[in-house]
Amino acid sequence: MMYHFDWGVFWNYLWPPSALQGPLIRTCLVVTIAVSIVAQALGVVFGLFAALGKTSKFAPFRIIADAYIWYFRGTPLLVQMALLFFGFGVMHIYDFPDIIFGDLKISGAIQAGALALAINEGAYMAEIVRAGIEAIEPGQMEAAKSLGMTYGLAMRRIVLPQAAKVIVPPLGNEFNNMMKTTSLMEIISANELFYAYNQVNARIFKPFELFIAVSIYYLAMTTVWSFIQARIEASLGERKGIEKAPGMLERIFGGGPRTSPTMGAH
Amino acid sequence: MSQPSFAPNGNDGSIVVKAEKVNKYFGSLHVLKDVSLTVRKNETVIVIGPSGSGKSTFLRCINHLEKINSGHIYVNGHLIGYLDRNGKLVEDSEKNIARQRAEIGMVFQRFNLFPHLTALENIIEAPMRVRKTPQDAATADGERLLARVGLADKRDKYPSQLSGGQQQRVAIARALAMKPSLMLFDEPTSALDPEMIGEVLDVMKELAHEVTMVVVSHEMGFARAAANRIVFMDSGTIIEDTTPDDLFANPREERTKQFLSKILH
Repeated sequence: MMYHFDWGVFWNYLWPPSALQGPLIRTCLVVTIAVSIVAQALGVVFGLFAALGKTSKFAPFRIIADAYIWYFRGTPLLVQMALLFFGFGVMHIYDFPDIIFGDLKISGAIQAGALALAINEGAYMAEIVRAGIEAIEPGQMEAAKSLGMTYGLAMRRIVLPQAAKVIVPPLGNEFNNMMKTTSLMEIISANELFYAYNQVNARIFKPFELFIAVSIYYLAMTTVWSFIQARIEASLGERKGIEKAPGMLERIFGGGPRTSPTMGAH
Repeated sequence: MSQPSFAPNGNDGSIVVKAEKVNKYFGSLHVLKDVSLTVRKNETVIVIGPSGSGKSTFLRCINHLEKINSGHIYVNGHLIGYLDRNGKLVEDSEKNIARQRAEIGMVFQRFNLFPHLTALENIIEAPMRVRKTPQDAATADGERLLARVGLADKRDKYPSQLSGGQQQRVAIARALAMKPSLMLFDEPTSALDPEMIGEVLDVMKELAHEVTMVVVSHEMGFARAAANRIVFMDSGTIIEDTTPDDLFANPREERTKQFLSKILH
């Protein structure tokens, strides 16, 4: 028997009033965006430290950074997330209690999910940051040192600002991935977008309509981000003479090197 | 600030650089062999020699951009880069090394200006961050230095908007902004187009009267005009150390003669 696409359900859960204004989906959309930003920002910080560790002259730092990158790139993010949330809870290493700020409640699952995303992202960002640092001519560090700057000051003021230009385009792609990868938090029942649609599906069983609807939300987020990314890169390029950034169509439909699919690479 | 001061014998305060039996290896390659050199206040010493003779490496040892395997290098009586622990050299802390480098200006072959900063910002960065000079004072000083190297109108240009000669003049101003007691020049004109060499040498000639300088360069015209001494290095050793006129008139060693015949035309 033919399955009939239920347009009513589709529209209902794609656009207000019933879907977006439904507290579950609205909250979950906000959570997805917020977690993406927080996890990416933390990921950059972790990646920066890992990259500095990897390029350090001090062997223990190198070993710690290598081990971190090895583990978190060598195991699935889904497993890391489950280990962090369920495993740490069972072992009473950390239970991820809910954090409450006034009306705002951040569930343990969201904290664990965001942290796992950030730590995993850091292992990928480490390579991007390291490549950015290594793209800067060694003469820059030497000139800075010859002026009496310490390594840390020279890194902060001279090398990293230049490396940032190299890092921004791949960082934008990482963030695009991050927004989609937040959906893995469904496994630990964090209130994110995919979880919300899954909950609705459990109630009304319309997987085709619902999962197309949710995919449109992800598509909207990544598309909006593509525009923002293009603007950022264009403004960087103008000032610093970077190569012309890829055009909008190329960015959305691909054409350059492929970014890794969510489940596969991360 | 407690700088270890192991003033070598006979330092009457006029000795700026004193290198004693400096040895350096790159792996198994012995690049500096018992190199000793003394540079007095306001002297300009030119170091020449074939490529691979160790002249640039030696220069880079003076501000500890390169480590040394044995020997001592003193600048203004301070042992550079190391602490002497009963005759054993232990590398000094990063902070102390940075402090020592702040007193030693360096100009590089490839300029190494900071491309994300304007000419003026390049100059005031270290005074502000290292010396903690307030921005207005650093800016006034930076503008004065830019004027001095003839680039007052380029203060807000980025390095990519300047010619090679202009970049090198900004790099000299940047080094001078730290008010160093010693300036090191590592082949400052060899990456420049011929028509830009003169403008950089003119700035250096003027400086030669006021600052102690060690210059690795093959610019013989500059050597004649500005150098008090000329040092010829080959295979990691100093072969001759004399005045430019003396070296050109009667080089003592065969290797010196051969080398001079190649660079003097």
